[in-house]
Amino acid sequence: MKILKSKGTESVLAPIWNWKITAFAAALLFFVGIMAISFGPVSLGFTEIIKTLFGLPGGLTGQDRTLLIDLRLPRALLAALVGAALATSGAVYQTVFRNPLADPYLLGAAAGAGLGATIALTSAGANLYSLLPIFAFFGAILAVLVSFFISGKFFAEPNSLLLSGIAVGSFATAVQTYLQQRNSSSLRPVYSWILGELTVANWQVVTWSSIYILIALIILITVSKQLDGLMLTDEEAYSLGINPNKLRVIAVVAATLATATAVSASGLIGFVGIVVPHLVRGITHRVTNRGLLTIALVGASFLVLADLGARTLLSPAELPIGVITAFVGAPFFLVVLRKKRLVNQ
Amino acid sequence: MIKIEDLNVRIGHRKILSDINIEIEDGKWTCLVGPNGAGKTTLLKSLLGSQAYSGSITDSGVEVFKNHDRNVAFVPQHPQIPIGMSVSEYVMLGRSKRDGWGNESNKSRNLVADILQVTGLFGMQSQFVSQLSGGEMQRALIARALVQEPTLILLDEPTSALDLHHQIAVLNNIELLKETGVTIISTMHDITLAAMYAEKIVVMHQGKVLLNGTSDFVIHSPELKTAFENRINVFTLDSGRPVIVAKKDLSN
Amino acid sequence: MFKVKPVLIKVVVATLALSFLALNPTQAATAIPKRIISLSPSATEILYAIGAGNQVIAVDDLSNYPSTAPITKLSAFSPNVEALMNYKPDLIILNADATKALEVKAALEKLKIKVFLERAPLNLKQAYLEITALGRATGKISGAQSVISDMKSKIAAAIKKGKTSKKITFFHELDNTLYSATSDTFIGKVYQDFKLVNVADQAATADSAGYPQLQSEYVIKSNPKIIFLADAQYGESLETLTKRAGWSGITAVTNKNVVSLPEDIPSRWGPRLVDFYEFIASSIAKVK
Repeated sequence: MKILKSKGTESVLAPIWNWKITAFAAALLFFVGIMAISFGPVSLGFTEIIKTLFGLPGGLTGQDRTLLIDLRLPRALLAALVGAALATSGAVYQTVFRNPLADPYLLGAAAGAGLGATIALTSAGANLYSLLPIFAFFGAILAVLVSFFISGKFFAEPNSLLLSGIAVGSFATAVQTYLQQRNSSSLRPVYSWILGELTVANWQVVTWSSIYILIALIILITVSKQLDGLMLTDEEAYSLGINPNKLRVIAVVAATLATATAVSASGLIGFVGIVVPHLVRGITHRVTNRGLLTIALVGASFLVLADLGARTLLSPAELPIGVITAFVGAPFFLVVLRKKRLVNQ
Repeated sequence: MIKIEDLNVRIGHRKILSDINIEIEDGKWTCLVGPNGAGKTTLLKSLLGSQAYSGSITDSGVEVFKNHDRNVAFVPQHPQIPIGMSVSEYVMLGRSKRDGWGNESNKSRNLVADILQVTGLFGMQSQFVSQLSGGEMQRALIARALVQEPTLILLDEPTSALDLHHQIAVLNNIELLKETGVTIISTMHDITLAAMYAEKIVVMHQGKVLLNGTSDFVIHSPELKTAFENRINVFTLDSGRPVIVAKKDLSN
Repeated sequence: MFKVKPVLIKVVVATLALSFLALNPTQAATAIPKRIISLSPSATEILYAIGAGNQVIAVDDLSNYPSTAPITKLSAFSPNVEALMNYKPDLIILNADATKALEVKAALEKLKIKVFLERAPLNLKQAYLEITALGRATGKISGAQSVISDMKSKIAAAIKKGKTSKKITFFHELDNTLYSATSDTFIGKVYQDFKLVNVADQAATADSAGYPQLQSEYVIKSNPKIIFLADAQYGESLETLTKRAGWSGITAVTNKNVVSLPEDIPSRWGPRLVDFYEFIASSIAKVK
């Protein structure tokens, strides 16, 4: 087939994605991470920290070393993992549901996790406390499955899926409230869990959550390029070589896995899934899902920074991290809403 | 050559297409015409390969259902407009068939730049797709189909939402495609325009094909009037061009 | 069987105890913590009462009694491991109800800091056991024992003074949305010691932890003879109760037997429990 050519053009198109941005995001994460483990009520020398991390002589010993290795490091890593999981899931949900305000918690995942956590805390007393992450995890997955089931079919229209997600979420919240009313001793632990906390992260939590989150992120970043096709109608996507329904299922399952794991490890931390994708898209002027890896890295940095704030702003008290992300996220949300309205006019 | 044999399509409980047997020639522009609900869009989707059907549709001897080896461009009637995407990014999506998703070769970049020039969109390349007017949007869709370098291009009502001036502009752009040897199949409910541009016309009515032939033949045949329940008149201008007009008096 | 003199038993036990201590002198000596942080207001009161006050270096932001305690911004309910570490303590008294208490304990123990997990007692007997345990943890066993016996005698005296043969119904109001406490709770048991009848007991199944919310109609119908306001510090009083629809007819309101509970004392289960018992006793005396 002949290629149509206009007469004498030497035009150059700007590249769609610049991988230098991704490299910068990775460097940012590293820098923010070092900052996060350096600050806190107990001051540790910067050089000693570096030496300890790289196993060089002259590093920290005793209590200080335990503080760095067993407290600060897992906490920073957990913040990075959760931030990456929530940001990436948010971006993926926004693409799949063609809605720039979509959030990882949209299909009832958050409410389901909250209900699971409440069930763990209100049945048979404190014995189930250690199983709380498992209950939260299955609560989240179950809520998403029920949303799919209620909306009628697995390959449902995105809008009907969102509506059933809202219904499932409301129901789960209602049951949760009832359980809490009948077991007022659970109010405090459930409330603080809902606000989100990374307070006593340990290596155990980091290990299991990293497995699930990394699996989900690898899946999503692998299919990220094809996700762009979901921004078009199904026929357009098909003509460009994509199976839209299969892709939707894979994307939503992986994103939900990442969200459920994050929620069960750290409670409900909101707004990350909205703020970070839009921040990256706004700065790069690109909506392509090739930016998913960058979004993950920026999400990780964002939450590590927020956690740093949670630990230092009201020291020695801890500010719940959900409060910080809401403080940043809510005005951001309004700005996006306004921009969307302007663009549609 | 696209061969359609005993094609039946059912969506839910409704039968949309019944017993269709036609052949569509390569390299020519075939237009599917008929009233709303005749099944034109469904036939188009079946030709794309994304719509399940019973019977057989073969393109160069190969069944088309879920067959991703073909390079077919699809221009929908109501496209999904991604928010925040620039025109150049949008048109570049068309290269995913040739380059694979997420890759842009230099050749692709040059081609997209050229096509943007040809369709008059180069100056708007950084604008958001959501900000384009109806006519500009249609041109962007055509541009994206062009960069795909397809062997078959399917257009669903490419002119229905446009004013006269833009309708002609878009149809002229599509006509340019014929130079490349691509097969064009479009649906239209404006038969006059179809007769002006398409070489072959397929008349559809209630899920069946009433006629399949050259524009001249179809325009002057009585089945055309049947398809529109005798609500049209066919006139011929001095230049020989046919004009199909709806009758005001519906009592016939 | 011959009767064994009680005195003889005491001598034998004392000898055994002393010999045990003699065999393990070094353990007892090094185990006494000198840098204690208390993250529990009740524990703070107890520590000072049993004589361990000079071993305390910091207390949480709610530990306002005694006023000589070194109060800080440390939180009892959201403990911050790093902030605690900064004080270089050798013992931390942690509330078992604190957020992530078990994880905090594990983290502190990893940092080689001893943790005493204090559980809120469900009744007086458990309270005495907790006081004894605190005494043991701080090397003030005798101090704990004298505090306990003091509490026991004073509480018994208060109960004797206040106990009434008449059936007196009461309503303990936690807040103005009518949350109450049943006899399953610690505070409910205090009232129970005086043989008072708790109108909230009928609603015990509504909340397994013992804090049901009552309906206004129900309180009116139960017609309690005395009302204790735990929300007096938030503005509730006889005046505000009289304004509530239908409440002016309640016996407690017409006879002006609405008692404003003092701040803190009802929620501390340390030595000031005595003050609470004495307070209730005098309130009952006013009901005739």
